[in-house]
Amino acid sequence: MSTPTQTETTNTRGLGRLRDLWNDYLPYWMIAPMVLVMVSITFFPGAYDLYLSLIEEPTINVFAAEFVGLEHYETAFTRGGAVHSFVITVTVVVSALLLESVLGFLLAALVAGVDSGRMKSFYRILFILPMAVAPVSLATIGRLMLNTEVGIIPYVINTLTPFAAPAFLSDLPLLTVILLDTWNWTPFMFIIFYAGLSSVPDTLVEASRVDGAPLWRRYVHVIIPYMKPVVFVATLIRMIDLFRTFGVVYGLTSGGPGTATQLVSINIYEQMFINNSPGVAAAIAVVYLVFVIAIANIVIATVGFEGVWD
Amino acid sequence: MTSGQNRRQFLKTAGATSVGILGSLAGCTRGGGGGAEGTSTSSGSSGSGGSGGGSSSSSGGGSSSDDLAIPLSEYDSADIDWQQFEGDQINIGAVQHPWVSAIKPAIPVFEELTGIDVQWNILPENQFRTKRQTDASTGAGQFDVFFMDQVVNQFREEGWLQPLDTYFNDESLYDESFYKPNDLFESSRWQAHGGGYSDNWTGLPITVEVQTQFYRQDLYDKHELEVAETWEQHRQNAKVIHEEESDIVGTAGRGQKGYGMNIYILNTLLRQKGTQLWTEFPNDSGLDTEGVIEAAEYYTSLLQDYGPDGASTQTWSDVQAAMAEGQTGHIVADANMFWGGLTDDESSVADTVQIAKVPKPEGGELNPNAFNWQISTSTNAENSEQGFLFMLWATSPPTDLWINTESSGVFSVRQSTWENDDYISKVGEDYAQVSLESLKASAPDPFDRKYPQWGQRYSEELQRAIAGQKPAEKAMKDAAKAAEDIYS
Repeated sequence: MSTPTQTETTNTRGLGRLRDLWNDYLPYWMIAPMVLVMVSITFFPGAYDLYLSLIEEPTINVFAAEFVGLEHYETAFTRGGAVHSFVITVTVVVSALLLESVLGFLLAALVAGVDSGRMKSFYRILFILPMAVAPVSLATIGRLMLNTEVGIIPYVINTLTPFAAPAFLSDLPLLTVILLDTWNWTPFMFIIFYAGLSSVPDTLVEASRVDGAPLWRRYVHVIIPYMKPVVFVATLIRMIDLFRTFGVVYGLTSGGPGTATQLVSINIYEQMFINNSPGVAAAIAVVYLVFVIAIANIVIATVGFEGVWD
Repeated sequence: MTSGQNRRQFLKTAGATSVGILGSLAGCTRGGGGGAEGTSTSSGSSGSGGSGGGSSSSSGGGSSSDDLAIPLSEYDSADIDWQQFEGDQINIGAVQHPWVSAIKPAIPVFEELTGIDVQWNILPENQFRTKRQTDASTGAGQFDVFFMDQVVNQFREEGWLQPLDTYFNDESLYDESFYKPNDLFESSRWQAHGGGYSDNWTGLPITVEVQTQFYRQDLYDKHELEVAETWEQHRQNAKVIHEEESDIVGTAGRGQKGYGMNIYILNTLLRQKGTQLWTEFPNDSGLDTEGVIEAAEYYTSLLQDYGPDGASTQTWSDVQAAMAEGQTGHIVADANMFWGGLTDDESSVADTVQIAKVPKPEGGELNPNAFNWQISTSTNAENSEQGFLFMLWATSPPTDLWINTESSGVFSVRQSTWENDDYISKVGEDYAQVSLESLKASAPDPFDRKYPQWGQRYSEELQRAIAGQKPAEKAMKDAAKAAEDIYS
């Protein structure tokens, strides 16, 4: 039988152990709530998606599900149009990313070169505006502006040029989608690049100017290398975002004509909500997730992280 | 006031506010009013005499019998025990649809007649489809009654839909002499029986639309054209307008893919050639037969030659807008319900637009497409019997007549309503006559259980043909292969 003093000592020792445990792993305890949140909002849906891709039909009773192995994956890649939609998606991502990066950088450089503070402010607001348009609104506006009968763009082309305006959405659907996305998201690249340009020390630019370097050399050898982390982060974020594009393209073309603009996201939507094939939709989503993670990692490994995180 | 009272008051207020917000987010409404305001797409009057007061009471706004939109005596002749479920409640899952707006003012009638409280769950179409599928497939059974469309046979074959025949055989729930099932259009009854894939009632039809053609009388007078009865005449009329008018195309039609889009039109054209889809189900889709290919070639070349540029991307709303804005001489074949939008105050052709039956091929039969919405109940619903009473009441002759003559409906599934003088005077003689004749000759699409899948592929191929990406014949052969692969 323990005496009160012994009990007190034991309690004190127990509390001390707990305190040590708390102190020794303090950073981990602090991160734990966030880890829990991330697991619940990121990993659980991913795992559930994987589960859906392997069962016949969704059911609340997990144990009653009929597992069908890779059947949905086979369907996705044979008659589910998965390969085609991957090709379309990569085409859109690469083209739009290139256009948006180049245009965004050019606009940022031009605005950075403006002397008047008031004009700078005006241009900044002007160039950022397209990004504020919601995807559904953009698609609706796009459909109206490109309409061959009542659209302003075909009207301007027909009136001011010797060429007949094409039927954008049916004759040039992929190009139209890329250009509309470019119009919508170049402002994002502009903002980031403009911030990057503003962070380049004047002394470096001045030194290169004193050394007699022409403008293009100053950009190629001084400014752009200094901005590398900014360029890298902006491009990576935009690339991942482009892989998720859905609203604008669905509103504009519904993935057509035929499947000419059927991005993976649209294919997943159609499999799920039109074909009522949740298993096939989940299978494409799983492959797509792995694909995007792989691409992002390849880009990170190729370009490198120097100066980005450290 | 004590702090305890303050806290209680605060909690009560917060609780009530939360429930209100959650209710709004879920789109839940109850009784005879509210809910659909601001989301309704209905046009016309919103009912004369309905209480529709947005009340949350079970009697629909506390209406007395005298205030009811339809006198309860209209239901006296029914040998049905209306009050057997008094005090119960039913949940209805619905899309934002003119039928909902049209029937809502009459809901207090049902609540008074049966003592059953009606709870609405109204959602935009895409959200509703997702919620309906989740509700049915997981066995949640939240909806006692819900809207049903092209996926009827998928739901039926999965065992999610409850056949209504048991209720039809229950003498306390059904009285044939009151309900008059043969007054429903044959195509509506057929659709409610799974579009030919079931001998059982899968639900009761609530609305029907049928394809008609629309044309500009002013242009017809100007160019001395006759209303087309055949495809060739229509093509010729479209050609004249297309070539003679500088800013007006000859014709417009749905080109966009999707099973409510381009194939909704083409299916009419191919049926008029004597062709049927799935003559040998599920081995032969019939999509590569001569009749389908000819129909596809006609429709494709019509839109390419005399339609707007980019016709392949035209949705039904683009087509309607083109006509209402005076941009086209015709709509070749589309929902008769466009009539309202083409003749209202906002239409620039309101004074000159005319309606006629869909043209048919030389020697072919008039057989336009008809699309029905129906309401069904699921096998997991807790109050299916109460739901059946609601379906029966909502589609019964007195209610149907009221919806379409006194409220905003123009989509009756009952022949007697189309022949009613009040209804004819409300919608106009032309609309009533053309629609009625077309409805009598109509047939809906046979929505088999995988229609959404193969319909999508079929519509993609047709869109490719309209866009000029491949010949119509090749497109239909590819569509046939895709459709048959899905069943292989």
